[in-house]
Amino acid sequence: MPTTSPCECNTIDELTAGLRQQGYFADRRLATAVFLALKLQRPLLLEGEPGVGKTELAKALAQVLWRQLIRLQCFDGLEQREALYEWNYAAQLLHLRAAEGQVPSSELEQEVYQPRYLVRRPLLQALETPAPGALLLIDEVDRADEPFEAFLLEYLGEYQVSIPELGTVRASVPPVTLLTSNRTRELNGAVKRRCLYHWLDYPDREHELAIVRALVPEAPARLTEQVAAFVQQLRSAPFDGNFQRAPGIAETVEWARALVALDTLALDPEVVQDTAGILFKQRDDVAALNQALAAEVLQVAAQGGGAN
Amino acid sequence: MPAQLSPAPERVVQLGDARHGKLAGNLGAFCRMLRRAGVPIDASRIALAQQALNWVGVAQKDDASAALEAVLVAREQDRAVFRELFDAFFRDPKLANKLLAQMLPRADGHARAPKRRPRVAEALSPPKAQSAPAKEDAIDLDAAMTASQVARLKTADFNQLTASEYMLVERLVRDIPLPLPTVAARRTHGGTRGARIHWRRTFGSAAQCGGDVMALHRLERRRAPLPLLVLVDVSGSMERYARLLLAFLHCATARTQAGGRGLAVRRDVFAFGSHLTDLNAAFRLADTDAMLLAAGQAIDDFAGGTRLGASLAQLRERHARRLVGRRTLVLLVSDGLDTGEPEPLTKELAWLKRHTRTLLWLNPLLRFGGYEPIARGAAELHKAADGMVAVHNVTKLHELAGAIARLLKT
Repeated sequence: MPTTSPCECNTIDELTAGLRQQGYFADRRLATAVFLALKLQRPLLLEGEPGVGKTELAKALAQVLWRQLIRLQCFDGLEQREALYEWNYAAQLLHLRAAEGQVPSSELEQEVYQPRYLVRRPLLQALETPAPGALLLIDEVDRADEPFEAFLLEYLGEYQVSIPELGTVRASVPPVTLLTSNRTRELNGAVKRRCLYHWLDYPDREHELAIVRALVPEAPARLTEQVAAFVQQLRSAPFDGNFQRAPGIAETVEWARALVALDTLALDPEVVQDTAGILFKQRDDVAALNQALAAEVLQVAAQGGGAN
Repeated sequence: MPAQLSPAPERVVQLGDARHGKLAGNLGAFCRMLRRAGVPIDASRIALAQQALNWVGVAQKDDASAALEAVLVAREQDRAVFRELFDAFFRDPKLANKLLAQMLPRADGHARAPKRRPRVAEALSPPKAQSAPAKEDAIDLDAAMTASQVARLKTADFNQLTASEYMLVERLVRDIPLPLPTVAARRTHGGTRGARIHWRRTFGSAAQCGGDVMALHRLERRRAPLPLLVLVDVSGSMERYARLLLAFLHCATARTQAGGRGLAVRRDVFAFGSHLTDLNAAFRLADTDAMLLAAGQAIDDFAGGTRLGASLAQLRERHARRLVGRRTLVLLVSDGLDTGEPEPLTKELAWLKRHTRTLLWLNPLLRFGGYEPIARGAAELHKAADGMVAVHNVTKLHELAGAIARLLKT
């Protein structure tokens, strides 16, 4: 859904509306955090359970701001050469060969370390993107090992990368930077100090309903409401004790889609049990959601819907 | 940056200078209060918070709260403290002070002269024959005495080390290095073997020889020790062992054992009795005495019964992320005398087994020879564990340490 012009985002409301236009429903606190990240030009660290929309936020925000989304997916063993830059050594060797004997050695070094022999990786790409600039998503930063975080510090603090052979590359337009983490480990204090922080919670009922309505418009209204209420109950006491991992928004949406595909008009325990594999990704959890439990949750969800 | 403030001018103007000045002071006070409540905030954060408020304005309390939270909080666990304090402070700072006083532990420990550690005390006093320990006078009422005895049991055995114990632990750590197994990590460093070529270094050395590649340097995978998860039983039957074992494990896993260039050991420690206690904060202390003190304070079910099943369930629900990608080496220190239900234990052990690389059961109570795991808990543990160490005498801790080392080697 491309908009006609990039969002100015002068107020929190404008930003919220812009995100909503892209199908992302941000609550007020999240919108405030993003707004501040834009205005204070600080990276924003998003933490939260899997499936609460951390990565989606980056995608939507890139659309809103008309910025190019550059994504750095972190993994164990991620190195500087994969995240920042690398020299194209083969080309450099060729150059060295070709220039042999023709160029004085003092100039040779300068010639070999030219920007054209530089292989740009996401961080450097983000810095060099011309206006309106890039949106850099450093995804699942907790998956990279701790020593890697040190490579990020210069970028996060000053929006620059120092290359010993070339000098410092500064951003012409500071990239909007989002970091996400599933908190499989605590991040280093040095990284956190350079970022704003927001903990993404599961959305409340109204929000989730709006999300499902927007993303699965073909679902009947009654089913959508039931789905949202049901998932809310799964996440809250007393039912959350039965599961290792509560379903995220992504799962809710997937589930609603699946139910539509199955031509379901209303939830019943049998259908819930049959499709439990979409809500839960662990065998124990899937097994725990049997018909008896599903019936109980459905009942409470229906009552909760009536009371609210 | 006054130029950048222009998009939201009406709010700033509306406030006026005098009130603006007051806000800065209030914000500073609020940040100091947060800091006292244990939320780490430095001066640059306070300045940033001021800027954030300039952008968001203070007309809407929720927005201001969200803005300050985004700037001042950096950990999930601090959010609740922040919100409570925010509500209290910006309604009534005095109330916030009271709230803070309730939340904070009494900090009178600093005022007193530091107590002499047992280690120091024993070293200072002349050596003497083992005299009978001074009897606790038991003239209390029945009810009172039970309470005091329970309290004594809860804490007494996590005393700091005496000098002889300290020397024993030191010697053990020195003599018997725990050979924690290592695996090839994803991270690399320069070396002579390895599949990938270290272009940077190769090119560097080629440049020294006028562009001729004389040697191919390679990227070697570093060795990293397996993440370690220690579960220590602190039930009544284990009370004599738990303390020294904790001390030993604390010392033995503190240093990186994986060679000079290896990566640090990732270590998680929990105590369990009737429930699970996180000892990581205690284990982060470098001093073993301080560790024992902190652990003693953290464990509130010392010498209670063992409910291994329930404790493991807690581990699964709350700390499953400590088990890293099924590579974790689990040391389960227990006598296997489980008082909980056998069925959950079977289930939880199976889960633990599925999510770990190796599950080692260290059983300090039972004999080597002719030992049969008869108790139900023990039988389940025996089935699930990849290896078992049993040592029957606590004074021969070095045998236990040696056995652990042998087991790790295989």
